[in-house]
Amino acid sequence: MTLQEIVFSLERYWADRGCLIHQPWDAEVGAGTMHPETFLRVLGPRPWKVAYVQPSRRPADGRYGENPNRLYKHHQYQVVLKPAPADVQDAYLGSLRALGIDPAAHDVRFEEDNWESPTLGAWGIGWQVLLDGQEITQFTYFQQAGGIDLAPISAEITYGLERIAMYLQDVDDVYDLRWSPEVRYRDVRHEEEYQLSRYSFELADAELHRTLFERYLAEGWRVLGAPGGRSVHAAYDWCLKSSHVFNVLDARGAISVSQRAGMILSIRKLACAVAQAYVKPAEAEPAAPPEAARG
Amino acid sequence: MAEFLLEIGCEEIPAGWLPGLTQQLRERFLEVAEREHLDPTAVASDSTPRRLVLRADVAARQADREEPVWGPAVEAAKDASGAWTKAAEGFARKCGVSPEALQQGVKDAARPGDQYLLYVRRTEGRSTREILPGVIAGVLRALAFPKRMSWDAWIEDGKGSFVFGRPIRWMVALMDGAVVPFAIHALAEGRRADPVVTSGDTTWGHRFLPREAAGRPIRVRSGADLREKLRAACVLLDPTEREKRILDGLASVAGPAPPDDHGLPVEWRDLVEYPTVVVGKIPAQLRSLPTEVLETVLVHHQKYVPLGEGRVVSRFAAVTNTDGSNADEIVRGMERVVVARLRDAAFFYQEDVKRPLADRVGDLAGVVFHKGLGTYKDKSDRMVRLVDAMGAEMGLLTKPEHEAAREAARLAKADLTTLMVREFPELQGVMGGIYLRAQGHPWPNVSVAVQWHYHPVSVEEGSPPARAVAGGDATVFGAVSVADKLDTLAGYFGLGLEPTGSSDPFGLRRAAQGVVRVLLDFWSADAAERRPNLVQLVGAAVEGYGDTIADSASAKLRLAAFLSDRLRYVLAARGYPGDEVEAVLGAREPEALQDPHEAWVRLRALHSVRSEARVDFEHLAVAFKRAKNILGSGAGASVDPALFQEAAEGELHAAVGRLEVRDGGYEARLRALAGLRAPVDRFFDDVLVMAEDPRLRANRLGLLSRTLSLFYRIADISKLGG
Repeated sequence: MTLQEIVFSLERYWADRGCLIHQPWDAEVGAGTMHPETFLRVLGPRPWKVAYVQPSRRPADGRYGENPNRLYKHHQYQVVLKPAPADVQDAYLGSLRALGIDPAAHDVRFEEDNWESPTLGAWGIGWQVLLDGQEITQFTYFQQAGGIDLAPISAEITYGLERIAMYLQDVDDVYDLRWSPEVRYRDVRHEEEYQLSRYSFELADAELHRTLFERYLAEGWRVLGAPGGRSVHAAYDWCLKSSHVFNVLDARGAISVSQRAGMILSIRKLACAVAQAYVKPAEAEPAAPPEAARG
Repeated sequence: MAEFLLEIGCEEIPAGWLPGLTQQLRERFLEVAEREHLDPTAVASDSTPRRLVLRADVAARQADREEPVWGPAVEAAKDASGAWTKAAEGFARKCGVSPEALQQGVKDAARPGDQYLLYVRRTEGRSTREILPGVIAGVLRALAFPKRMSWDAWIEDGKGSFVFGRPIRWMVALMDGAVVPFAIHALAEGRRADPVVTSGDTTWGHRFLPREAAGRPIRVRSGADLREKLRAACVLLDPTEREKRILDGLASVAGPAPPDDHGLPVEWRDLVEYPTVVVGKIPAQLRSLPTEVLETVLVHHQKYVPLGEGRVVSRFAAVTNTDGSNADEIVRGMERVVVARLRDAAFFYQEDVKRPLADRVGDLAGVVFHKGLGTYKDKSDRMVRLVDAMGAEMGLLTKPEHEAAREAARLAKADLTTLMVREFPELQGVMGGIYLRAQGHPWPNVSVAVQWHYHPVSVEEGSPPARAVAGGDATVFGAVSVADKLDTLAGYFGLGLEPTGSSDPFGLRRAAQGVVRVLLDFWSADAAERRPNLVQLVGAAVEGYGDTIADSASAKLRLAAFLSDRLRYVLAARGYPGDEVEAVLGAREPEALQDPHEAWVRLRALHSVRSEARVDFEHLAVAFKRAKNILGSGAGASVDPALFQEAAEGELHAAVGRLEVRDGGYEARLRALAGLRAPVDRFFDDVLVMAEDPRLRANRLGLLSRTLSLFYRIADISKLGG
């Protein structure tokens, strides 16, 4: 099964189970969780079901295209089910069958792995799903996002697409994956991996990134506090950008343990403020359309 | 008698929780069932990752119960005319009967003459079936989890919202085969919604096995029936049975010598419902990786048991949640993961080892230790200076020890810039030691010190690196370990970032305990002049930061107090009574921090002698509390025997005089001091210390003061309790 067929199968499978098929967020993010379709939608009472691919950038994981398993950018397939249905694990296992993985012929296990995103003020209870010792999915019951206790609880299923594809295609090197019947992963992404690794380890201007980090956060706070409200999405984008800039600085190895703690805290403060602003209008006037906030 | 069977079917519960939960299930049920008068017996519990199971014998119905309710005294029950008093009528009304229906009885067996009105309340036992739903709710609520989760659940027990360890997906609740009704509802917008779990007689087997029957409901009648049907459905309910299957499997693949299983079989047992051990191979070209690296990947990242001959790891054993029929394909997947990780590690090793570790020291200037405290290069430099202070100024190290410790301090942090440590941070220090050996560093004690300098991390005696460092190497290791930790502590305290309450984000408590442990357990010097003075070391560590620390006097004081507290903690953790620890740490001369190892020796002596002469020490403690209170008003001057008026004064003076010149170990001295009990007691009995004559008073205070100071060299005896 090619990488794109895996995506098609998952989209079909989850669309058939009532999910809206969304698109990747168009800003640099480290994980599908940071997409507003997860981070903001899990807040508040309204049910929601959504699935999408999210290219995820982790600058520190860049390996110049030389490592067969590790990438500056990998692809997650993200499913959010709010509230989590009682058969959510079976539904997930069904999706593996849809990919041609027969769990009875393998060792498929749910092993404790709670998820936490310090930058988003979010955490959840869950498992990593292991397929013959390989982690292929992170499965999480969200408990908190943006520092806010969640009700109802959402289930988040995050597939590592490259990992699953390597398993299905029985290849040891990610660049040997067939993306389509004709084109290999190498042809699509290898040069990009090299260049982006080079950028984050050698070319990125650390001083500029420090400045950007401060200014992105400042801009996020500024728009969040702008009179008239309705600036949550704009502020959240700046929050995401500051997070990416932080990751670039981290990749350069120039952030110490304690500096890291302080920077993460700054991002989290903005993320929590964004989450508060997102749920606030809904608390005041649950049925009101967003226009009401203009008042 | 009836059998109660409860199976709580869950999504996968973390393996580490299962032993505790299994025990709790039994204990909480016993408590709740006894409270409900169900006479529970033969209570047993079992578990797998997907189920908690309890069976017990219970009474079919509660026994009828009688309990006495006491009213007013009989004399107060009737007035002079023989009519019921208001008190008696009120009591009868409260009991719901007429006064004539009340009995009389003796409330207090010690006063058989006093008769009281008595009402015997009879409670008819209810049927157990009616009570069990409440028992189930009580037990579910009472289970404690290391971490609980909200899963939008609700129970109709008056408490509503229901959090648990993992979502519950089915429940078997049977009394003698008949379903005990119980429901867990969904919680939607703060209110009860439809049931999500309804109890029944239906269980579920292994998720995927046996292939032809998986996913089909299984009806059960009893505990024994459940066990057997689950076995047929590839679920071994009894954890000991799973463990045995694992150990047998491991023995059959391990070869003649039993492998170091790193405690994994116990964890494996609770990770799966049907364990089958499989074996994978490690390609020959990856077996030459350092054992520590192989073990980190296999044991810590994959939970596999390394197998091999001698120090060469050539295979690994893993547990699967299968019947083994597809082992080949599964093992291929596992090997792929292991090979990928080991190949990464091999690449890191080859790259790292090309560059001498010493060359990396300069790179540490690019790695920030803390924004306010400079880089790791600065930290290394400070560590070297601290080691120099220990060697040259304080004379704690011999010349060869000093040279080795200085070299190790310089190199200790260099592995932070290696690829391996960036990938496997838990190997920091370890890789430095390995690379130094691989690159042929001439001094073995340097690589040992670098390898272990992040230790000790545990407060227990004998925990690592107890076996790894020994003899003269222990002092070299100790110097580097202490220099690293004290430097970190001094820096953070200098910035005012000490731990508060339960918050200790930089692990400073552990660092301080590490310092204490090194000084107690690893510093090999027996001679007092070669044992570190922690007050001096704190001073040197804080001063190492120069102007970076604004108020160095305050930082020193706060850090010293913090270390005292950690010394107290470590000693108490070793099982010594709190009052003995306080007594030893309360001694004025020498202060414990000036020689922690010596404080520990005093503590052991006090503990041993006090247990021989408990009564003597009780008396002395009381006397010394008095003495301290009296002396609080002013220390005594010198003692002039000519001013003695009572025999007790002379007697105490003579005893003190004999003891002041006595030598010997702490135990011998404490034993001799215990003999002061009689003269001290007599002194307090016969002598008025606060005499009106100021000269007499000063003389007596002086004698008391001298007596106290005999003890103060060992322990403040007044701190001892009864």
